[in-house]
Amino acid sequence: MKRLSITFWIGAVLAGSILLFFLIGCFWTPYDPQAMNASMKLAGISIAHPMGCDAFGRDVLSRVMDGGTSTLLVACGTVLLGAGLGIVIGAISGYFGGLADTILMRIADALLAFPSVLLALVVIALLGTGEINVILSLGIAFAPSFARVVRGEFLRSRYLGYVQAARLAGASHARILFVHILPNIRSVLISAVLIGFNNAVLSEAALSYLGIGVQPPQASLGSMLAESQTYLLTAPSLCIFPGVALILLVLGFGLMGDGLSTGRK
Amino acid sequence: MSLLKLCNLSITFLDGKEPETVVQNLSMTIEAGEKVGLVGESGSGKTISALAIAGLLKRKDVRIEGQILLDGRDLLACTDREIREVQGKEIGMIFQEPMTSLNPSRTIGWQVEEALRLHTNLNAEERRARAMEALREVELTDTERIYHTYPHALSGGQRQRVMIAAAMICRPRLLLADEPTTALDVTVQKQMIALLHKLSETHGTAILFISHDLALVRTLCDRMLVLRQGKTVEEGATEQIFTAPQKEYTKELLAAVPKFERFPRPLPQEDRESVLQVSDLCAYYPMESRKLFQKKQKKQVLHHISFAIQQGEIVGLVGESGCGKTTLAKAILGLHRDDTGEITHRTEHPQMVFQDAGSSLNPSKTVEWILQEPLRNVTSMSAQEMQERVTQMLQLVQLKDTLRKRYPWQLSGGQRQRVCIAAALMLQPEFLIADEPVSALDVTVQKQILLMLQDIVQKTKVSIFMISHDLRVVYQMCDHVLVMKDGLIVESGTAEEIYRHPKHSYTKALLESAGAST
Repeated sequence: MKRLSITFWIGAVLAGSILLFFLIGCFWTPYDPQAMNASMKLAGISIAHPMGCDAFGRDVLSRVMDGGTSTLLVACGTVLLGAGLGIVIGAISGYFGGLADTILMRIADALLAFPSVLLALVVIALLGTGEINVILSLGIAFAPSFARVVRGEFLRSRYLGYVQAARLAGASHARILFVHILPNIRSVLISAVLIGFNNAVLSEAALSYLGIGVQPPQASLGSMLAESQTYLLTAPSLCIFPGVALILLVLGFGLMGDGLSTGRK
Repeated sequence: MSLLKLCNLSITFLDGKEPETVVQNLSMTIEAGEKVGLVGESGSGKTISALAIAGLLKRKDVRIEGQILLDGRDLLACTDREIREVQGKEIGMIFQEPMTSLNPSRTIGWQVEEALRLHTNLNAEERRARAMEALREVELTDTERIYHTYPHALSGGQRQRVMIAAAMICRPRLLLADEPTTALDVTVQKQMIALLHKLSETHGTAILFISHDLALVRTLCDRMLVLRQGKTVEEGATEQIFTAPQKEYTKELLAAVPKFERFPRPLPQEDRESVLQVSDLCAYYPMESRKLFQKKQKKQVLHHISFAIQQGEIVGLVGESGCGKTTLAKAILGLHRDDTGEITHRTEHPQMVFQDAGSSLNPSKTVEWILQEPLRNVTSMSAQEMQERVTQMLQLVQLKDTLRKRYPWQLSGGQRQRVCIAAALMLQPEFLIADEPVSALDVTVQKQILLMLQDIVQKTKVSIFMISHDLRVVYQMCDHVLVMKDGLIVESGTAEEIYRHPKHSYTKALLESAGAST
């Protein structure tokens, strides 16, 4: 196999450790992330609360772990939905071309013309808030960019000898698309998924920051940042810890994607 | 002093897991005005040596040892700036692929003048005059138009001429020509060799001519070197090597060069069934309409083609690139739809072997998976039966059974083409179309594959429709030959008839450029 660059490994270590941290948060947090304690209101950093407490006396470490989990969940769901839709649409329009391509790509163009957060706002306004709706709206907003990447690859593969050979071997179109061609574009797809994942994390945080993503009292990195604004000067740790967690996650995945695309010779 | 002297040149690639030495202790000299051939099969280090001489090898992941002396000055010890002074001025280079070695977004004139712009102080007027002269010198007509046009408007042969003009414009003393004729048709190849010869004579330019085509080397070069796996096998005057080769490998290489000699083949029996019949076939391609409301126009690429193939017969189709050979194959296979006329065959899934075995095997699947794929799609065989069929087929194409778990990139070019042939035979078709099945392979491998195809025809009674630009290969293999020009079959007959008594002038020209002696 080809060697991966050092950039990829730095990214993998960063993203891996922060993912592990969130993953632990799925099963165990030091305190109940929702439990309020009036006596600990805006308490600073201590051994009992390594990241301090927020305005309701809730443990920030527990909330970062818990909030990270819901951010991850939404991001994964978004990428799965977006990539799934994008692969099907891109494959069909790239491979068949012609009218199908024109129609699908014009729809994709129209969707791409709106910023994804704005598009998500519209969907949420129609369907209501909640994690599932956020995934649904962001997934649809992300599908066109995946479709574009996948389409290009299928367009290129369509005339290659092995695709023609597969046709002569009697393979159906669906089989050619998903059994013959798809495995060959995995490296491009992996890069696209990593970049898409980053965008999804940021979009989820942005939606929660605006108060239309994950709803309180449930924690989310975005909503924690929004809440911390009021205490920016008195309790800066409130915004530093969720912010740093977000940065490390995005940086890690960004470096991984970068390392994958440039590390190859 | 020699113009170019290589002393113990070794080149090692460092970017893999282990360093790989591709050229070992290569020593050679080129005198001023001398034409030297560098021959060898793919992977023998020909191109890499030329790139090293031209200073085009990246130094970071390549280790170059030894000396490259140009007029006694060691190019390996020069700085990048000094190397750039030499490139284009002292050493010119032309490449195999004229399609990609010209910049598509610059005019021809601009590209021909580039070396003048870098190495001389001539003004625009003088540069233009020199460029026009250079274009005329490479025997291009209509130079005024060509000067202002872009590469896409030129044919392959014209592009290669432009490349030569650009490489020669500063009157370099050494021209490195890396397979300059390989991508061209045989009739154009011959003109190109004559042109290189003329330029070398008039300007005293030394030429290092790299080729796998021994016949071309013989017509052009005074001396030649045979390389194998990065090492010199034999060196000497061209005629001497051709008439009295000393080393075993050289003999093998010379013996594998396709000649006008037929492989022994039992006479086909009479009254066989015909497996493919094509009558009055015309095929069209859509043309781009120039005006907005113009009716879509079609270009006819095949004109009333009729022929038949009998069981167990090998029929050859020859013609130059762009004459419609591949379109005919596609029409028979049902991959090209816009046609009229009649194609009759009983095979439900006609099969084809492609020219480029590398791209016609799915890179992410194993050999076994690729071979089983047609069976999975069309038959309802059990896994056990499919396994057995794969084993049989690997035997038929003379591949080791252990290769079944390999991926295409782990195979050599010849092995890949064998896998392609096996894949095409999996459904036991009555006939097979082979589109230039050996033209991407080295001569020694070529011969093995052709002999194997003969053997397969004997054993399985399959018929082969073989498309090739190489008349020699077709003459060796085929019972019947069709000669195609501009979408028309201009001549057809048995291989002997075509070779001994060609009627059409085009067939004669083809035979002559292929080096037929009669």
